Amino acid sequence: MMQEPTAEMVVAMLREEGIADVAMDFDANGNLFEAGMDSMAVMQLIVVVEERFGAVISPADADRENLETPAALARLIGGKMT
Amino acid sequence: MSADIIVLGAGSAGLAAAVTAARTGARVMLLERHGYAGGMGTVSLVHTFCGLYLTGDGPPVLANPGFPAEMADRMLRATGETGPVRMGRVWVLRQHPVEFARIADELLSESGVEVLFHTEVLSASRESDGWSLEAVCRGQRKVFHSKALIDTSGDAVLAGMLGAAAGQASPANLQRPAYVFGVQGVIDGEEGLALAGRIVDGLRRGVLSPPTLGLHFRSSGRAGEIFGTIDLSGEEAGDYDPLDAGCLSRLERTGRAVASAAVAFLKSEALGWGQAYVSQWPVRAGVRESRRWIGRHVLTEEEVLGGVRHEDDIALATWPLEFRETNRGPKLRYPEGDRAAGIPLGCLQPEDLDGVFTAGRCLSCDHGAQASVRVMGTCFATGQIAGIAAVLAAGGGSPVDVAGIRKVAGFELPAG
Repeated sequence: MMQEPTAEMVVAMLREEGIADVAMDFDANGNLFEAGMDSMAVMQLIVVVEERFGAVISPADADRENLETPAALARLIGGKMT
Repeated sequence: MSADIIVLGAGSAGLAAAVTAARTGARVMLLERHGYAGGMGTVSLVHTFCGLYLTGDGPPVLANPGFPAEMADRMLRATGETGPVRMGRVWVLRQHPVEFARIADELLSESGVEVLFHTEVLSASRESDGWSLEAVCRGQRKVFHSKALIDTSGDAVLAGMLGAAAGQASPANLQRPAYVFGVQGVIDGEEGLALAGRIVDGLRRGVLSPPTLGLHFRSSGRAGEIFGTIDLSGEEAGDYDPLDAGCLSRLERTGRAVASAAVAFLKSEALGWGQAYVSQWPVRAGVRESRRWIGRHVLTEEEVLGGVRHEDDIALATWPLEFRETNRGPKLRYPEGDRAAGIPLGCLQPEDLDGVFTAGRCLSCDHGAQASVRVMGTCFATGQIAGIAAVLAAGGGSPVDVAGIRKVAGFELPAG
């Protein structure tokens, strides 16, 4: 069983995959959209999250509240892991 | 046929150059391969003016006076928008390609530029008192003469024909192309993140192909009309080469195929998309970067990131370095303290050719700096200066320097 990701792991993933141009110490509650993550990057994000964590993010889950911060993303991914 | 100045290419830089030069009284001829001016902003449906405003907090401030400010004003009157919109840390002005083409016609008529659309230049050579150009329209050759030339082809076409110093990033590093198309019939439809989630779902189920991951939609500002933009990876075409017709042809076909499949999919599944249809194809896919001149000054990435100013600056580069080396969205690099770097006159002047100037996305710079200066707002700014510099060169009486340009300009250049 894979472990639920932390906000730090999410930041590392966003950096490694070139999804958002954020620093290593990006705030767990920092706003990723203000940091330049757009809807195109979100598509990459959903694909990567499925590859890495087996977490399937449905169209209904793809909203601002779930994707805005590393902490929110970590929660979303954790909740979708099977 | 002869003129004081011939401008190659009527994109944003060429339009600015031709109009600005003609307003001084010079006889200007503008050669353009398409049926309207505007370049990326019309034929490729790029629908925002970037690089018009200074970066930073606070209200929008126009970075470059003269032609860029005039275009912003005319576009605002045409679209009825109240002003630019904030996107992250930068201001952009939404523009409409249909309005751009019309405004360009007006500017060219008012200023008395002789425009030849549907004209492609074949060769260029030096003459005793200037330059000779051979151009073709539907197989019919014509020869043109001028005292000065401006290459605003976007692809440094003139540098290629003259065998002048030019550079081009490797296929893997070139900024990726964008395919923009018009869509109508969406009524209160899904947008933004919901649409992003929907598209990934289509990919997951194998209904859509991987290049669809580079697609996003934005309202055009007109009722019921949106633009789809696909950032292509370029790999659809083998090694990406924006100067190769075969490569460009594959890009065009991929763009249409990906767009058609995506709109058909959304039509069948997304809320409010039931009546959606593709309403407009671009005349050509949008090229962000190709060949560029190597001039007396090569503007570098370090200079732009450092906000460096020079004695002979003629325009400000206000757009961050916007890297599109993958189709995973833009990577933006901002200059220190949001300071706009200066673009010196030497970036518009080929190393050892007199009476030849360049501007726009093929001016003299490196790959990193080009990621900033390629945008239309900056192209307007460098274009107008190329126009004035060519007027001075064609006149023959005065040296082509910043003092001379300042005298003719009628607007303030950025202080060095």
